[in-house]
Amino acid sequence: MSESMSISVNGQSQVPPGFRFHPTEEELLQYYLRKKVNSIKIDLDVIRDVDLNKLEPWDIQEICKIGTTPQNDWYFFSHKDKKYPTGTRTNRATTAGFWKATGRDKIIYSNGRRIGMRKTLVFYKGRAPHGQKSDWIMHEYRLEDNIISLEDVTVHEVVGIIGEASQDEGWVVCRIFKKKNLQKTLNSPIGGASLSGGGDTARTSSSSHFFNDDSLEQFLELMGRSCKEELNLDPFMKLPNLESPNSQTFNHNCHVSSPDTNHGVQVSNVIDTSFVTSWSALDRLVASQLNGPISYSIAAVDESQVDQDHLVLPSLRSPYPILNRSGSYHDGLSQEHPAEMELWNTTTSSLSSSPDPFCHVSNGSG
Amino acid sequence: MNLPPGFRFFPTDEELVVHFLQRKASLLPCHPDVIPDLDLYPYDPWDLPGKALGEGRQWYFYSRKTQERVTSNGYWGSMGIDEPIFTSSTHKKVGIKKYLTFYLGDSQTNWIMQEYSLPDSSSSSRSSKRSSRGSSHKPDYSKWVICRVYEQNCSEEEDDDGIELSCLDEVFLSLDDLDEVSLP
Repeated sequence: MSESMSISVNGQSQVPPGFRFHPTEEELLQYYLRKKVNSIKIDLDVIRDVDLNKLEPWDIQEICKIGTTPQNDWYFFSHKDKKYPTGTRTNRATTAGFWKATGRDKIIYSNGRRIGMRKTLVFYKGRAPHGQKSDWIMHEYRLEDNIISLEDVTVHEVVGIIGEASQDEGWVVCRIFKKKNLQKTLNSPIGGASLSGGGDTARTSSSSHFFNDDSLEQFLELMGRSCKEELNLDPFMKLPNLESPNSQTFNHNCHVSSPDTNHGVQVSNVIDTSFVTSWSALDRLVASQLNGPISYSIAAVDESQVDQDHLVLPSLRSPYPILNRSGSYHDGLSQEHPAEMELWNTTTSSLSSSPDPFCHVSNGSG
Repeated sequence: MNLPPGFRFFPTDEELVVHFLQRKASLLPCHPDVIPDLDLYPYDPWDLPGKALGEGRQWYFYSRKTQERVTSNGYWGSMGIDEPIFTSSTHKKVGIKKYLTFYLGDSQTNWIMQEYSLPDSSSSSRSSKRSSRGSSHKPDYSKWVICRVYEQNCSEEEDDDGIELSCLDEVFLSLDDLDEVSLP
């Protein structure tokens, strides 16, 4: 039956009836984006390149059609365009509006190993800060650039990785879709959904019940990033709110050392290795904080320069503590946040009080 | 089937009925011929992998209309939901989707079956009555159905392959609104 299954995607395509392009996140990252980044030809041109600044979501919907069958989501490659030559911010403005990141990036796992990140963005019509939120959502997937493991790339890809010039890490793969029903989801029991067992681990094995590890990974990511940016004292760095009113409400036990058993051995290995560099990075960061000018303060940052896309913690700009805001939406979340806050607060207290900021954290990780 | 990674069998109701069920019923070749015919074999839902066409956590197979869908260890009981299926272009009724749930003994399980059938009027009801009287052993092709079986669980909504926003994303999204309100 495969003989006449020709799929030509550009223009008039022939996808067999009943079949849809519905890739898993793993397929998007490991097959499509990895090939794109390494300039390896992708057999079928199902995912097109799109200049995000030139096309509105409803245009993308037309351009990224696959066949004639109805679609709920559309896929494309996009090359991240820096807003400023020296910065890390991405310009995602179009003629009619702009894409604004929301929430926190989600870690994508494959077989318990971290392979990439997913950023969620919402399309706003108009210009910031007065844009009008639309129902268009984008998931932007990027490969995890911190961890390069040669063992799981094929020979062809090794060529791409060794020839550094041929690897273009600016590529991301995106999926856009229209949000269905906000109210329904908000009113439905979140806790029940997040407690669902890991029945789907064969696919991407990260969902909200890995929240604690998400926090950990976010934290480690921060550490990795601070390694690169520490000397600049980048005001956009994702640091916890030092004045958090929650500081005293949680005990300071560090849960870093207890990776979720669902992740298995492989993940704890990953965590362990990244830990070495991360903590040393934090060490240097703190050193620069203690010796440097006190003027490094998030509150002092010019409001207009804050890149909202890169703020992870909503508390930075808000008078409310995180816990209360989330808790007012659903109890399920308030149970998940304390673990996160513990982690942050451990850092906070380390930064502010302890003469050896890492003694108890390091012990916890051992 | 040599499709690139990411292509999956996710038919719409209309496609199932128009492309697969109607063609099967009219003895036309289905192309691609991916849905196996399990007739009335009494498979329990957990025995379907390897026998029915599996995609994600859903299984598809052809079967026959029957009053009692009994399996080795249980039976499928109607949920009393009959959903008409219309074509998207002409809004003509082309099929019916019935919902059944699987019972193990007396206890209801989370297994759901959607049984797609053609409306009685579309095939000559007189001829099907004649053949059901059993005078001839000719199989009655107007009585084919397509079954889609899946296990419903609470993680279904959170089946986070990215097609929908996660609950957490929704909350963050609404927090964005609050942020705008609370700005000085």
